[in-house]
Amino acid sequence: MPEESVLSLESVTKVYLRSHLGRSAATRGVEDLSLQVRPGEAFGLLGLNGSGKTTTFKLALGLLRPTAGRIALFGLSPSDPAARSRVGFLPELPYFYSFLTPEESLRFYGRLSGLPEKGLQGRIREVLGALGLGAAGGRKIAELSKGMIQRVGLAQAILHDPELVILDEPVSGLDPLAIKEFRDLLLALSEKGKALVLSSHSISELEKICHRVGILKEGRLARTLAEREWREAPGGLEGLFVEAVRP
Amino acid sequence: MRVLRTVAILAANSWQENLRSRFFLLSAVFGGVFLYVSLLLGVLAVDQELRVLLDFGLGFIELLGLSGALYGATTVILREMESKTITLILTRPVGRGPYLLGRFAGLLFSLLVSMGLMSAVHLSILFWKGWAWSWDYPWALCGAFLKVLVTAALGTFVALFSSSAPTALTIAGTLWTLGHFLPEIRFMIPWGSPWGIPLHLASCVIPDLQLFNLRDRAWAGSAQAEPAVLIWLLYALVYSSVWLFLARQLLRRKEF
Repeated sequence: MPEESVLSLESVTKVYLRSHLGRSAATRGVEDLSLQVRPGEAFGLLGLNGSGKTTTFKLALGLLRPTAGRIALFGLSPSDPAARSRVGFLPELPYFYSFLTPEESLRFYGRLSGLPEKGLQGRIREVLGALGLGAAGGRKIAELSKGMIQRVGLAQAILHDPELVILDEPVSGLDPLAIKEFRDLLLALSEKGKALVLSSHSISELEKICHRVGILKEGRLARTLAEREWREAPGGLEGLFVEAVRP
Repeated sequence: MRVLRTVAILAANSWQENLRSRFFLLSAVFGGVFLYVSLLLGVLAVDQELRVLLDFGLGFIELLGLSGALYGATTVILREMESKTITLILTRPVGRGPYLLGRFAGLLFSLLVSMGLMSAVHLSILFWKGWAWSWDYPWALCGAFLKVLVTAALGTFVALFSSSAPTALTIAGTLWTLGHFLPEIRFMIPWGSPWGIPLHLASCVIPDLQLFNLRDRAWAGSAQAEPAVLIWLLYALVYSSVWLFLARQLLRRKEF
């Protein structure tokens, strides 16, 4: 397993087995997937619905176990809490406890991430302020809009200053202004040297943020592209993507 | 230390949730209902008023505590799995064992406070009616809480084993009901038959809730004087630990 990778997948296959009334069915999530993400790199995953993007993230975070292959997070197994302490995760639809405020939620997640009590409140204020949630910090999450909840999602993902941030469809459902603000935040994280792994249906967003993009097709990594490749291609990343996924 | 801190953070979060939900409304409702019923009983029971108040109140506290344990244990983790709030916890440096223990501890603490509040209302009424303090009262409450502990541990396991909260509630509720008749069930299993030994072994799955009826023992003699109390305590701890360990094993195998 290369030590310079923050995340490494080697020939990973995930098959979902479902059984109902004595019948079992197997669905392939990803197949023979290999990829490496280097420190400070912004890596994008692009694919059609059901191509295996979310499965890849869940495997990387230890929420799913691979059927075959090896996964390493900072050289450790994703089931090792020490590895997960260096990762921040924003799911596609972040769900929070509706009885808590954003500030209370962040305190809860900050404590679980091992942040010391001293300085935790200051860090929460700093992150809420950076994400434009300063005024909403004391409101119940149930009262917030989707865009604001997505910001709380990003806040909990970066609160403990992780070295790797995994974001599943971070701009999905956001308005154009919020998308721009999100992109600026992600670029700022990338400039700080944080590794980003993100998926999106918005090709233009990945073009603007990522250094490399992997194209998933039916659970397999169809192609990996470096920034230079899509900049030089006549149709840009979109043209290369369509070419890769077209049957 | 790190694991203990995680357990404490999760327990505190569960407590906070219960505090802001309708969980404690039950205690308040109990207070109101009990006050009303006690006035009726005062008229009906004549010279046995205190005895009726004592038995009725302790029975009610135990029943509400156990209902809370059954409902809470069978729904808390399943609800978190369905709402996907569990993913933001398990993608942090939180092991599945500490997660389970934290949620369990939070539920137990909430039930302890709820039962404490209900007993405070109960005691106020008893003192108002002229009852003289007896140490058998806290012993009876301890017995009820041990039942809550055992029931919650069993419910937690069943919740992870079954596919939905109603199924879990049904299975755990059945085992809880059988638990009140375990000596009778064992008496009916003939040792001589080929199924005798397997059935006796299988009966160990059912919690022996009759053991914790310190309420009955308290007024028959003195519960605190019985040395067997320590054995019952040990039984409750071992039984609960076994189910929690098995629940942890199930949770470790789960995918989200």
